[in-house]
Amino acid sequence: MRKSLLTGLLIFICACGATTSQIPEWKDTASRQLESYKKSFLTGKESAADTHFNRAKNAIASSNNLNLLAKAYLTRYALHTAVLEDFSASEFIRINKLQPVPANFAYYNFLKGNFSTVEENLLPSQYSSLIKPARNKNLIKALQEISYIDDPLSRLIACGIWVKYLPYNENILQLAINTSADNGWRRPLWAYLTQLQKYYLDRGETAKSENAKEWLELLKK
Amino acid sequence: MSLSREYKVGLFIICTAVIILLALLYLAKSKGFFATVHTFTLSSRTGEGFTEGMPVVFSGFNIGKVQTLELNDKGIVLIKIKIPDKHVKWIRADSAFVLYRPIIGVARIDVTTDNLDSPPLPENKIPEVAIVNDINDAIGKIQPLLETLERLSRKIDSMASKTDEQVFSKEGTLPQINKILKDVAGKLEKLNATVDNLNKISKETSEGMRDLGALRADIDDTVKTLDGVSRQIDAILSKKKDSEIKVP
Repeated sequence: MRKSLLTGLLIFICACGATTSQIPEWKDTASRQLESYKKSFLTGKESAADTHFNRAKNAIASSNNLNLLAKAYLTRYALHTAVLEDFSASEFIRINKLQPVPANFAYYNFLKGNFSTVEENLLPSQYSSLIKPARNKNLIKALQEISYIDDPLSRLIACGIWVKYLPYNENILQLAINTSADNGWRRPLWAYLTQLQKYYLDRGETAKSENAKEWLELLKK
Repeated sequence: MSLSREYKVGLFIICTAVIILLALLYLAKSKGFFATVHTFTLSSRTGEGFTEGMPVVFSGFNIGKVQTLELNDKGIVLIKIKIPDKHVKWIRADSAFVLYRPIIGVARIDVTTDNLDSPPLPENKIPEVAIVNDINDAIGKIQPLLETLERLSRKIDSMASKTDEQVFSKEGTLPQINKILKDVAGKLEKLNATVDNLNKISKETSEGMRDLGALRADIDDTVKTLDGVSRQIDAILSKKKDSEIKVP
């Protein structure tokens, strides 16, 4: 019965007169799996995320394209940065030695917080206006620029980079928390709430820190 | 010397009786009537699937059968199996007992003994029977998916009467169907993990779970088909879908 239903469905689709544009299957798989990877990673489904990432990696590897493979790794590093975690970039460095791509290297430097070496015109457009405030450590301007970023993931990555490498304040943490919460991304949400608690603690605002801690504990329960 | 007729008849009857008796004895012996029978007791938390007279199988050979089923004071089902003396060597202390209920065919208790040198199973020891009924569980999990697909087909039926705009617009039916399909594919993928897990479990307890393998292949097939369908719908919806790989 299942088979016949599926056949019916396929026939229906063919009947729609689909003139599908041909995307190579590996590319389609890779981009799908990367999307699923991002989603699983951000929602805290670690094992699923790993599976998706490996599938994407394998799909790209089968196309012999080191540039895309580097992009896949950079995506992974970017996600780790977005949740304020460190990453080991050994794979990217190896790829970059064999096939250096300036845009990838610029993005890598950006993720690593080497703002002085980043060529801003090579970065994805949403981040390019962030480099100047980053070099001047101008938090107010940066906050404005970050909040202009449309894509929530990019916004979160920008927040992550800023919080990891530059002096930050409550507002930028709150921006990241809101971005995560709006999208239901548990992993960054917890990371930034923890960071917020630390921030209050470092500034001696014990009551606020306790509140943030309690808040997080209730969420984790 | 001539024998009297009565004597001949008597001799004939006695010979016949002796031959019949011998034949019966031979049959009884070969059927194991005089063989010593060992009784082992197994336990299980549920009596479901066990029946009296059920075969006990070692490497595909019948080596005995279930004699009785009892419920003890703690609510544990005790399964007494009868194993003739000549087969008792297969039952060792480290034997694993698995109730195997295939989709087709009769249920049986599979005995697996990895180490035939281990000591014989003491008759007072009560090993637990593992139950491989997971095929049914797996099928149970597929059931909701079938329902989803049926729902899907009903939707497609109703779509036939709608205009293109209703169907293809952003809020149209097709994007919704696409979502459902992705959902179904996702669920099936989850099931994959379950079956993988089951495969692992059953490998540990007993070999030869070919049915599970077949089921797995079936699920793989379905996942692939669904994934393909979902891709095609995607392609219809966005004629040139952006599958460029970019850093976020």
